Amino acid sequence: MEEDKTKNSDIQPEDIQRQEKDLNPHSENITRRIKSLYFKTRENKKLYKTLQISSVTLLSVLSLLFVFSFMLYIVPGVQELTSGGKTKFTADPELKKNPDYKKLTNLLAKDIQRLAKKYTSYTPGQSYIIINTTDNRFYLYRNKKLIREGFCSSGSYTMLKTEGEKKWIFRTPKGKYWIQGKITSPVWRRPDWAFVEEGLPIPSKDDPSRWEYGVLGDYALSIGEGYLIHGTLYKRFLGMPVTHGCVRLNDEDLEAIYNTLIIGSKVYIF
Amino acid sequence: MKNSEQKKLTGKMITLIASGAFILVLLVYYSIMSALAPSRKVAEIEAMYGQQPTSGNIKDERILTDSAYNSLLKEKSFLQARISMAETDSVYMVLNIPDSTASLAISGVEVHSAKISEMKISRILRSGNDYLVSSMFASPMNIVTDFATIRKEPLMIKMAPKDTSEFKPDIIPDTSDYEPVNYIMEMDNGVRIFIYQESDTITKDKHELFYFDLKDRMKNTWRSIKSSASFRVPEYHPFIKIRLPKADAKILYRAVPRKGQVAVYM
Repeated sequence: MEEDKTKNSDIQPEDIQRQEKDLNPHSENITRRIKSLYFKTRENKKLYKTLQISSVTLLSVLSLLFVFSFMLYIVPGVQELTSGGKTKFTADPELKKNPDYKKLTNLLAKDIQRLAKKYTSYTPGQSYIIINTTDNRFYLYRNKKLIREGFCSSGSYTMLKTEGEKKWIFRTPKGKYWIQGKITSPVWRRPDWAFVEEGLPIPSKDDPSRWEYGVLGDYALSIGEGYLIHGTLYKRFLGMPVTHGCVRLNDEDLEAIYNTLIIGSKVYIF
Repeated sequence: MKNSEQKKLTGKMITLIASGAFILVLLVYYSIMSALAPSRKVAEIEAMYGQQPTSGNIKDERILTDSAYNSLLKEKSFLQARISMAETDSVYMVLNIPDSTASLAISGVEVHSAKISEMKISRILRSGNDYLVSSMFASPMNIVTDFATIRKEPLMIKMAPKDTSEFKPDIIPDTSDYEPVNYIMEMDNGVRIFIYQESDTITKDKHELFYFDLKDRMKNTWRSIKSSASFRVPEYHPFIKIRLPKADAKILYRAVPRKGQVAVYM
C-alpha cells in the first residue's frame, strides 16, 4: 500500500503529457494548429474585431431567443404544472346508504329527468328544415327524422354600395325562423337594389318594370323580413353563396319542401 | 496601455454579468408571478361558485367528492346551460368533452355536429375541484372576443355601376378552400376555447398555425408582463383546445354570433 502511494507520487506531469502524446499523436498537432490560428487572428485586428462583434451579436440573439421562448412557452407550461390539485373521488359504499345522500341524488336524478324532457321538447315533432349557409346545404326533417338533403344557394356576403350613402348587404339571416307564407307561381317584385345593381334608374314603387315572372320557380315559402325559400333559373350555382339573402333550391327539392312544410314549420339557419 | 485595455475588458465583463443577473432576476420574478396566477384563478372561481349550492343541505362532506353525485351534478349543469341557451333564437355552440363532439344548436335543435379528434384541457378544468367546474359550466359562457385566421363574415364590397354600360353580370364565386381555419374564443368567465383545424398536413397550414399560436402567446405574455410590472399577479385563463376537421371548424366559427354563447360538458 505504502509502496503504491510512493509510486503514484513519483509520476511527473511531463510523463502524463508524454503518455498522452504517445496515445494520441494528432492531438498535439491540432492544439498547435488552433493556437497558431488564434494568434494569427489576433494579429489581424480587423478580423479579430469582426469576430468579436459577431460572437457578441450571436450570443445576444441566442439569449434573446432563450428569454422569449422561456416567457412564451416555458412559463405557460409551468403554470399548467402548478395549477390545481386533483380531486380525489370516492365511491364509498357506506355513503350510498346515507339517507342524506340518497335524498340528494334522488332529487338530482329527478331534476335531470325533468330538464332532459324539457330540452327534448324543443325539437319540433312536425316537419322542419335546417339550412347550412357555409356549405350551402339543406336538411329536411319529418317526425325528427331526416327525409331529404341537398344543395341550396344562400347569401353572397356582397356589400353593394352606391356613390351616395346607400348600401345593401346580401346575407342570409341566421337563427330560428318559421314559415309565414306559402305561394305557388310566385312573382318577384324587384326591390331597389335589383335596379341599382344593374345600373338602372330606380322606378316608382308600382312601376310595372318591378314585376318579374318565372324567376322564382314554381313555389316560394316566406320566412319573414322579405326573405324567401324559392326556386332558381341558375341551377349551376346551387351549392354556392350567390343570392341576395334568399335561399334558392332546385325544382324537385323545392317541391318536396313545399309539400312537407306547413305554415308555422320551423326553419333553422346557421 | 495593456493595463487600461484589461480594465476596459473587466468593466465590460462586469456590465455583461450585471445585466445578465438583472435579466435573470426579472425572469425569476415573472415566473413566480405567473406560477401564482392559476391559484388566484382557483380562488376567484371558488369565491364565485363555491358557496352557492346546497352545501347547506349537505351534512356529509364526503358527498361532495362522491363520483356518482358529481356526475349527476355535471349532467344537470349541462342541461341547465343548454336550456338557458335554447330560450334564445340564435345559434350556440355545445362542447361535449366525454363524447368528443362539438355541435351547433338553435333553440334546442342540434343543427350540426362534428367529431373532436384531439383535445387538450387546462388542468384546473380537467382535474380541479369537480364541483366548482360543474357550477361554473351550469350557465352558458358568453363570447367576449375572438381571434381567428378567417373572417367571420367574408364580406365583399361591390360598387354599383353608374349605368347599364358599366354593368357586369356576377361571376361564379371562388369557393376554393385555401384559408387555414384556427380561432380562439375568449369567454366572460376567463375560459379560452381554442379551435384548430385538424388537417394541418400542408406545410403552409402548419406555418400559419405556428404564427397564429405565437401571436396569441405574445399577446398574452405582454398582458402578463404589464401586470407583473405593476406588481399584480397576471390573469390566468383556463383553456380548452380542440381540433376539428377544417370544414366543421369553419362552419362552427361562421355560425356562432360574435357575442354568442357556448356550453361545455366536461
